[in-house]
Amino acid sequence: MSLLDVERLTVDLATPQGTLHAVRGVSFAVDRGETLCLVGESGCGKSMTSLALMDLLPKAASRRAVRLSFGGVELGDLSPARMNDLRGNRIAMIFQEPMTALNPAYTIGDQMTEGFRRHKRVGRAQAEARAVDLLGRVGIASARERLGQYPHQLSGGLRQRVMIATALMCGPDLLIADEPTTALDVTIQAQILRLLGELAEEFGLALVLITHDLGVVARIATRVAVMYAGEIVETGAAADLFAAPRHPYTQGLLDCIPVPGRTPRGSRLGAIPGVVPSLVGALKGCAFRSRCRFARPDCETDIPWRVDARGHGARCVLA
Amino acid sequence: MTILIETRDVSRAFAVGRGLFAKKRMLHAVNGVSLAVREGEVLAIVGESGCGKSTLAKMLLGLLAPSAGAVLIGGTDARSLARVEIARRVQPVFQDPYSSLNPRRRIADIVALPLEVHRVGASGERRRRAVEMLERVGLPARLAPAYPGQLSGGQRQRVAIARALVMQPEIVICDEPTSALDVSVQSQILNLLMDLQRELGTTLVFISHNLAVVEHIATRVAVMYLGRVVEEAEAGALFGAPQHPYTQALLASALTPEPGLGVPDLGLGPAFPDPLSPPAGCAFHPRCNRRFAPCDAVEPVLQPRAGGRVACHLAGV
Repeated sequence: MSLLDVERLTVDLATPQGTLHAVRGVSFAVDRGETLCLVGESGCGKSMTSLALMDLLPKAASRRAVRLSFGGVELGDLSPARMNDLRGNRIAMIFQEPMTALNPAYTIGDQMTEGFRRHKRVGRAQAEARAVDLLGRVGIASARERLGQYPHQLSGGLRQRVMIATALMCGPDLLIADEPTTALDVTIQAQILRLLGELAEEFGLALVLITHDLGVVARIATRVAVMYAGEIVETGAAADLFAAPRHPYTQGLLDCIPVPGRTPRGSRLGAIPGVVPSLVGALKGCAFRSRCRFARPDCETDIPWRVDARGHGARCVLA
Repeated sequence: MTILIETRDVSRAFAVGRGLFAKKRMLHAVNGVSLAVREGEVLAIVGESGCGKSTLAKMLLGLLAPSAGAVLIGGTDARSLARVEIARRVQPVFQDPYSSLNPRRRIADIVALPLEVHRVGASGERRRRAVEMLERVGLPARLAPAYPGQLSGGQRQRVAIARALVMQPEIVICDEPTSALDVSVQSQILNLLMDLQRELGTTLVFISHNLAVVEHIATRVAVMYLGRVVEEAEAGALFGAPQHPYTQALLASALTPEPGLGVPDLGLGPAFPDPLSPPAGCAFHPRCNRRFAPCDAVEPVLQPRAGGRVACHLAGV
């Protein structure tokens, strides 16, 4: 069994218009040393999926799953106290915007050591020594002085490094990163992504990375899951999925992005007409069919998941 | 080619407070930039946050006065032109279509407003032209009475483009026009901008941090770093043979969806400079892995090089 095994995860949100099915039966698994990328556009349910794993969903949301097992433990059965013991300890998370994820009123040192001291029951000196060590590992110079600084005294790139170091404090098995580089400049993004990859390898982490950026996915994922309207529509090894996408949505997304050297300059880019269907109420058949140029009558029925021998699967009548 | 708009050694500084009692410091957002925008071209200005590209855009639009230097529109100093005169010739499309459209006005009224300001035609004529423009940017006429809140992000950005084009300005300044949009919508807006540019001959200044997009649509590119232009060249030359180490790092950091290539090591230090206290000499030298003797003392100036201009001591070596 994999370190993280998710089967038919659903997240429902109560809204004034009715129940919004944000995540609709998502299944995936991640092992140590693997990087799984959940990719999709806004509203596809990728962030809700990550919050569901952390049991950090908003109050209006409810989570159900056939299986939600982490290291053999069923997360759905855990009491809030037991979940608190796991969260930040064996499962850690990095958020998109380090300025809002860090508390402006506490020093870097306070925030880095708080969880470690609570989970590992050690003293301040020991916790600070580990914080200094990790800040050095994520490439922050004069780490000892940084502990006394406040978040506003650091640049965006440095704050995100602090977030990563903080997530690694307790030596987690699983790291969930939700758009960790979206708020950063491109040169800083490359540095942070390299760092995440190196650390994942060094610490034997299982990494779940949530992003909308197919360029990032192609460069760092071992496996990719493409999400659309709360469902995984295609999954496979990164090399297979990018070489031969099987779902029209994945194909469409890739056609939208100009690739220097491949897309003739000034040529028309691919486009996906239409908008994502409402996720309020029941949705039958393929959610993408209203925007799909290959749509046909049987797209309105429930479409089985089709997977090939290499584990490259898609939910499409054409696959 | 005719130069439509030009900046001559233009600078803009802001006084930035550091607390209630601390003395304010000057932040030099744009520092001695000379750029010319020629008729019919797509000039891209690229750079990372804090490089001054948006401040430069505001000065080109006449929304912000330079603290030194001058902006020339059609050869005339913008300071001697009336606001409406500048607005008739230069129009903006901003990044966030959620905050750039008045939520309490109908789509047709938003697009017709520039016509009203410039007193073009009677109200029926203005409305007809607004609806015509909406259709031109791919919005059905039935959306004319809708409010921005009823539209998707991509549709709103189309409204912003229609409003910018309705007076047929000479130049449209697009400041990160697709950054707030999803990938599938982003490509539609880029297609629209390319179509309109070809059909109407509008000159575009395209400000972006997305190198793949810039390479796709720009004819000329200026790269900014900490308030200065460090390199400028025809798009083909710049992407084919970037001269400045910063341009090289920027191009290398563009992650295209090609698996197996990994994330490149840019060889840059983690020290992102503080715009409030820029380093001496070349502003990029603390991160540059090819710095040598003069870099931390002498500031390089833009010099002609390989069909463009570059500000780097290496260029003379």
